[in-house]
Amino acid sequence: MENSSIKKKRKKTVTRRAFIKGMGGGAIGATLAAGLLGRDGLTPGGQNVEPAVFEAKPITLTVNGKTVRLEVEPRETLLHVLRERLRLPGTKRTCDRGECGACTVLLDGKPVYSCMTLAARADRRQVRTIEGLAAGGNLHPLQQAFIDKDAYQCGFCTPGFIMAGAALLEANPSPSGDQIKAALSGNICRCGNYQKIHEAVAAASERMRSGLK
Amino acid sequence: MKNFKLAEPKTLSQASALLAGGNGRAALLAGGTDLLGEIKEGIRLPETVVDLMTISGLSFIRQDPAGLRLGALTAVAELAEDAAVGRLFPGLSQAARSVASPQLRRMGTLGGNLCQRPRCWYYRTAETVCRKKGGSKCFASNGRNRYHAVLGSGLCHIVYPSDLAPMLMALQARLTLFSAQGERTIPLAEFYALPSVNIQRENMLGQDEILKEVVVPLPGPGAKSAYLKFKERGAWDFALVSAAAAGTFSGRSASSLHIVMGGLAPVPWRMREAEEALRGKKLNEDLVRRAAKASLQEAKPLEENAYKVELAEVILSRAVMSLG
Amino acid sequence: MRDLDTGDSLTYKEQGQPLPGAKPAASVQAPAGTFKYIGGYLPRVDGERVVTGAAEYTQDLQLEGMLFAKILRSPHACAEIVALDLSPALALDGVKAAVRLKEGRLNYLGEPVAAVAAQDEATAEEALDLIKVEYKELPFVVSEDASQAEGAPQVLPDGPNVQKLNELTRGDVDKGFREADLLLERTYRTSWEVHQPAETHASLALWEGDSLTVWDSTQAVHSVRDGLARALKMPAAKVRVIKKYMGGGFGSKLGLNDHTLAAALLAHQARRPVKVVLSRKENSYCVGFRPSNRITIKAGVKKDGTLTAVHFKNLTCGGLGRGDDCADPLVDLYRCPNLKVEEYSVFAHTCSNRPTRAPGHTQGTFALEGFLEELAAELGMDPLELRLRNYTTKNQGDTGTPYSTKGLEQCYRLGSEKIGWQRRNKKPGQAAGRTKRGLGMASQIWPGAGVPGTLADLYVYPDGSVEVQCGTQDIGCGTRTFMAAIAAETLGLEPKDIIIKIGDSDYPWAPSSGGSLTAPSVGPAVRDAALKAVEQLKQLAAKKLNIPAGQITAAEKKFSNSQNPAQALSFAEAAHELRRETVFHGERALWAPGFDYQTFGAQFAEVEVDTETGRIRVLRVVAAHDIGRVLNRQTAESQVLGGVLQGLSAALFEQKTMDTSLGRMVNANLHDYKVATIEDCPEIIPLFADVVDERLNNLGNKGLGEPPRIPSSAVIANAVFNAIGVHVGEIPMTPDKVLQALKRREGRS
Repeated sequence: MENSSIKKKRKKTVTRRAFIKGMGGGAIGATLAAGLLGRDGLTPGGQNVEPAVFEAKPITLTVNGKTVRLEVEPRETLLHVLRERLRLPGTKRTCDRGECGACTVLLDGKPVYSCMTLAARADRRQVRTIEGLAAGGNLHPLQQAFIDKDAYQCGFCTPGFIMAGAALLEANPSPSGDQIKAALSGNICRCGNYQKIHEAVAAASERMRSGLK
Repeated sequence: MKNFKLAEPKTLSQASALLAGGNGRAALLAGGTDLLGEIKEGIRLPETVVDLMTISGLSFIRQDPAGLRLGALTAVAELAEDAAVGRLFPGLSQAARSVASPQLRRMGTLGGNLCQRPRCWYYRTAETVCRKKGGSKCFASNGRNRYHAVLGSGLCHIVYPSDLAPMLMALQARLTLFSAQGERTIPLAEFYALPSVNIQRENMLGQDEILKEVVVPLPGPGAKSAYLKFKERGAWDFALVSAAAAGTFSGRSASSLHIVMGGLAPVPWRMREAEEALRGKKLNEDLVRRAAKASLQEAKPLEENAYKVELAEVILSRAVMSLG
Repeated sequence: MRDLDTGDSLTYKEQGQPLPGAKPAASVQAPAGTFKYIGGYLPRVDGERVVTGAAEYTQDLQLEGMLFAKILRSPHACAEIVALDLSPALALDGVKAAVRLKEGRLNYLGEPVAAVAAQDEATAEEALDLIKVEYKELPFVVSEDASQAEGAPQVLPDGPNVQKLNELTRGDVDKGFREADLLLERTYRTSWEVHQPAETHASLALWEGDSLTVWDSTQAVHSVRDGLARALKMPAAKVRVIKKYMGGGFGSKLGLNDHTLAAALLAHQARRPVKVVLSRKENSYCVGFRPSNRITIKAGVKKDGTLTAVHFKNLTCGGLGRGDDCADPLVDLYRCPNLKVEEYSVFAHTCSNRPTRAPGHTQGTFALEGFLEELAAELGMDPLELRLRNYTTKNQGDTGTPYSTKGLEQCYRLGSEKIGWQRRNKKPGQAAGRTKRGLGMASQIWPGAGVPGTLADLYVYPDGSVEVQCGTQDIGCGTRTFMAAIAAETLGLEPKDIIIKIGDSDYPWAPSSGGSLTAPSVGPAVRDAALKAVEQLKQLAAKKLNIPAGQITAAEKKFSNSQNPAQALSFAEAAHELRRETVFHGERALWAPGFDYQTFGAQFAEVEVDTETGRIRVLRVVAAHDIGRVLNRQTAESQVLGGVLQGLSAALFEQKTMDTSLGRMVNANLHDYKVATIEDCPEIIPLFADVVDERLNNLGNKGLGEPPRIPSSAVIANAVFNAIGVHVGEIPMTPDKVLQALKRREGRS
């Protein structure tokens, strides 16, 4: 463990500093880049604005349909913000390194590991967690299938599995067995209930399709 | 996790300038799946993290006469799912599908995959300060090394963990690198650096240089490609050994053939002897096995990883045979 | 010298002994016949909480003013603390408390040195870096081999690095060997496995006056309470330990942990609640593991497969712990008049081993059942026939007490039929081709009889609501659900009508949820309480209906006249007659004397081995177990699936890898410490023998936590043997090990 200087107080202010001020090379680089970017059609006109550099960033999250505004430190992960600040502990911290899937949430509808997602990056995006999956008090068909099939034991990895499974069913309402396995292969169930988890996703798929008919 | 400042450039030149101004204490953030792990472990402590995702226009899959152009911020999942990629380069689809896990493929980018840091467990542990982190020894050489390199190592025994790199190299992809000095294009084959060249970094990127685009030359008639990854568990594992093979075939013989292997060396490892031995020949299993063996003669396994040489022979052979 | 006295140094065998004063058994207790709920497929009563994310795990709890603690851990495998200064940490803004946890010598890398509590996790982490510690590094050993080497530093202050753990002799082994037609000797090795529960260990401590409440991620609220009281030198009655939901333990959460004590000390100092949550790294090398074993078996056998003698030698390394004795399956499972067991502990500078789902039995079974598979091949015999040849009906290898029930023969039949046992390679390795298939089997024995003396209280309220209180805990096995089913069944209610209150040391005593103790301890206690309640309610109903109590049946939420079903009193009306809430004390009684009570089982596996790469794919596992009466098939099947999958994971992947010169675990994360994914999961078919043990308790049920984990690594190794003709002899069977084994076979032929 290395030493670090004592930080008496964390700055909580937004700074928009001229990071490249006084760096001649950087300025030239910016000019040069303007032409190149223009040619490639990248961000026309953006090159003259100095980049924002944050020590804390005000963000707007839409979590389970509700919009919240808060200020986050750059290092704060989405998982941390959900659990500790928004008090949504359904999303679990198990490995904190993107190695287990228990923290899976949907970001703009796509499954991601919230432990490896900076909260600052979720700014102005839609976050869906296990707490927001049941609509109007009715369980999502996959949640019901997890109960019916007994697709968990300790239940700690369950929110992550359900979010990964729900994302799959949204993208592909009739997944094959192999597709189910592939979609859930980023989630670890240490209790070892994979077979029933698989069955639950298949059962939910069937139920959702018959409901549509 | 130690705190850092988060920079949100709008252009590559801003990003490059932030890198240049960071004196080595600025780090690029693409998908984040690699860098955040390093920061959490405390093996990298950037003052400024430069978010590349705030730059628009770097995520694309586009075909033009030069080839298939892949933006550096294209998600690995998009590569895996893209129909054109699958049609033109089946091996690249296979490689993309074999990366990590569904969530990580969604988060991770092509550029991040090509620039990722090694997974050596000594490198990844804050307490073991190895040569790569400025220390004076490689703990793997006489330590626990069943996942380590059997080729091209010496000072440092990492293996380069990317699945996309060997395949793109076999497909003779070129990289566009951006810096304040302008853009340059280099073959991917010249991108990676052995520990003997630079022990602290795995590639030739300049301090303010950013990978912008990958261009894969379009396949001609008879072109085939395949990626075969051998991992310990069924999913979500880095390759013990992987083989990428691409060539132009007429019947069972290849007029050109490129074979690059992962999991064996600190950089994606080109199997030149095998390529030469097989070029123009009608492929059969025996011939391919002999070529593979010859290609691996230089291997210098450590105490616990000699099996990788055996595996490499098999995996290389199977990948090549799947083409012919 | 071991880690903190966790208050749970008892083995499962010791824990399974009846408590003093436990109620004597009635002559025949368990009803035959079937039930409405018990034994069916019951969805969990708390399923909705779990699938909506509402279930509260210890990690999820937040209290007003709560601080976060972090533990400073030894960076050395062995060192002396020369000096320690907490003051720079305490000076950091936001730090509210700091405590020293250890004086003098540190004996493993990761051993707690000090702890801090701060307003948030990040500040606590920063504060750790500020603690000044001067260590004097000392020589260490972290491997079994290094520990036994000449000149190795002595690990324990009071004894050598190798110590006798267990020995046993039955008959005369040398005589037995002389009588044999064939002698065979083989060695089997198992690796250090880490529990790696999904929820890392976590505790939250709160002081109110001089009373302490701790929420803990634990398998044993009573044991943690007693440990805390002892460590803090305060009355147990002033300590309360609560566990609501828990994210897996597998034996690593059975007693008081250092970090829990640290949280209590910090909370006392700061006068604020303190939460501590271990990181995955800490979880990987600070809270136990399954010890390694090197087991050599030498046996004599007649041509027809009759065992004449077995010599079993085990060297077990559990770091600072004593490791596991592994001979129990051998001692009991097969008829063998002549037996010699010698087991030794090898000590090393790592944390102590902890019980790991079926401690000892798992490793002993890997060796014993692997040996039988090899022995059968040497004899040219069907491995199943070899096991039947040496079948027993009494313990101690057919020389001791008769088993009350033993459904192993049924398990053999059910399992072998389901897998298609006749499809196996009659000669191991005979199949042609580079991908070879094989079938293997392995048997299992484990106590699982429960703890006589376990208590449960059943409250009936005058409004007809029913609550069961028991100081047990649901660690994922569905405890709440079977408790509700038993109470509902007995009272004529539905499971959802029963309010279950568990996971609190203020509730009546129940054993730790480990060792397959829970269901056969708690189930019968609940049944006993419910029987008492229904008896009294029947009396009241009888009085009200003016008929004899013997004529009353309790079903469908009412008490009816069995002669005239129209005449009935609702459950609520009967409860109203109690006039106040009434508690019925239930107790798990003793079993009928003169018998031994064990669980049995057999698993059968089919695998495919790529002989060029050494990659093993498990295709199918059939797991047949005799656990007496099954309480809830739904959750019982889950237990079996998990036991099989964990065995697969250990057989193929899991290995705590130590750098012996650094004294450090190098794969302390969930990527490099590989556990099985869904892509590794085979088809698993759980089957039950359904042999109700009427003498064991009032339900006839046994435990199921350990049984499916016991043969589940062995069975895969045996199937690999059948496929490739050579037993790999050690787990995990990583590709390199399989390739080496294949070379050994080539060398032989």
